[in-house]
Amino acid sequence: MLAQAEDSWIDFNVGLFLDQFWSNTVDGLAYGSIYALIALGYTLVYGVLRLINFAHSEIFITGAFGAYFAMEALGLKPGPTARLGILEIIGFLLLMMAVAMIISGVSAVVLERVAYRPLRKRNAPTLVFLITAVGASFVIQQLFFVSRGANPEPALRLIRPTEVFTVFGARVTNIQLLVFVAALLLLVVADQFINRSRLGRGVRAVAQDPVTATLMGVNRERVIMLTFLIGGVLAGAAAVFYLLQIPQGVVYNGGFLLGIKAFTAAVLGGIGNLRGALLGGLLLGVVENYGQSLLGGEWRDIVAFVLLIVILMFRPTGILGESLGKARV
Amino acid sequence: MALLELNKMCVHYGRIQALSDITLHVEEGEIVSLIGANGAGKTTTMRAVSGIRPLSGGSVVFDGQDISKLRADLRVVRGISQSPEGRGVFPGMTVLENLEMGCYTRKDRAAIAEDFERVFDLFPRLAERKSQVGGTMSGGEQQMVAIGRALMARPRLLLLDEPSMGLAPQFIQQIFRIVKEINEQGTTVLLVEQNAQQALSRAHRGYVLETGRVVKTGTGAELLADPSIKEAYLGVA
Repeated sequence: MLAQAEDSWIDFNVGLFLDQFWSNTVDGLAYGSIYALIALGYTLVYGVLRLINFAHSEIFITGAFGAYFAMEALGLKPGPTARLGILEIIGFLLLMMAVAMIISGVSAVVLERVAYRPLRKRNAPTLVFLITAVGASFVIQQLFFVSRGANPEPALRLIRPTEVFTVFGARVTNIQLLVFVAALLLLVVADQFINRSRLGRGVRAVAQDPVTATLMGVNRERVIMLTFLIGGVLAGAAAVFYLLQIPQGVVYNGGFLLGIKAFTAAVLGGIGNLRGALLGGLLLGVVENYGQSLLGGEWRDIVAFVLLIVILMFRPTGILGESLGKARV
Repeated sequence: MALLELNKMCVHYGRIQALSDITLHVEEGEIVSLIGANGAGKTTTMRAVSGIRPLSGGSVVFDGQDISKLRADLRVVRGISQSPEGRGVFPGMTVLENLEMGCYTRKDRAAIAEDFERVFDLFPRLAERKSQVGGTMSGGEQQMVAIGRALMARPRLLLLDEPSMGLAPQFIQQIFRIVKEINEQGTTVLLVEQNAQQALSRAHRGYVLETGRVVKTGTGAELLADPSIKEAYLGVA
């Protein structure tokens, strides 16, 4: 009796964990790169404004809806994977990316204009920004609920997952490879932009010392807009990668848990640190998969957040620590 | 016509009046020093001229134009640059990147290259440490970065807020010598200092601030010779 009760709530399945280790790693990296892309938006805005933009998860889901409707409008039907030539697939994919990135980028900038800038003009205290962020998140989410209902949209399948190669026996699909490589590429571009370009230098200056940045002729408002734009555009890309990987279609609250995970990833890597967002995202994606196979599916989120708490206990500033404010990379 | 004119400039922090009717002017080619005790309003004056502190009265006129309402970042384009109190070196940027921030608003590549040479000429130490990160430098070196960075804007008016603060005596001498040199190369300087001796002896003219007001003005030599100033600011009874 006792043993059974114990058995029923926690059970270490070491055999399964070892069996699935490499496939969990592959899946985790592919899914974690989505976390990383979203995490960058949290981290950039935090670096510049010291604000956790909780509505970022809804910027992400807005892009996902945008890409979804664009595909539908172009004649992609729900159901089995569409029979398309490789060029058509690439075309659809690029178009989806463009639409999602533009929609997410623009909505991030609009959100900043409508919700945060007026508060900044009035020197509102930090708490007010935080509540506004949470409020904006719910408003956008519920707008999708009201207009699209509680059920997920039917899934549009653009690419049939096929094995490209195997790593230690774990299969890597074309979708996973595409998502991982494309996400990494986007993150490298963003990182180079922030660290090498003139505008990127302006962003870092505002993050490190906003008053002195102004004395150098940096327009802080423009920098803020730019960081929301970059964060939004990357969230839009993440939205497309998300649509490619999930079995069902987009749903109104699909951004919520993903957003919290991405935020967790940002904190895990060191909030305000671009490379920390990447590391945190990949790590979180992989570890929650390990937890899932070791303990069971319902443990996935528990493992993710316990990981966060444990790491923060030992490294309160996250793994890579330094913020955009100080980071020199 | 003066390069910079402050006309009855007032600044409030909330309800507290920090500056009352500050009237002063800086002619093209001058070094003008503002001296005064802590809290006299020297730094607030600099912030108001740069536009990061709004006026509650009066006006700031630069090169004949009222810039009282002009955004701070656009004042840099007009030709006002500042080395702020506490230096404001970007801690996560290298010396080179800090200097590049100084010419953030400029696009004239050839002239920028000249200005890099000029700054490295004035501060050879910075040339040696181009890739050192700002946050790891000594106070004196950070001061060089801050002044060099302000020069990279190729300003018509250079605002220096407490360049000697926290520096070892040999550094103080060196910094003031360089300020003189910068001025002789044609840049107008408005200098804020607690080190009144140095500031006044290098300046063409000076103003004395007390609790947000101008209480005395004159040439550097006149102010240095003034008995009340000697007593209050120069530590001579």
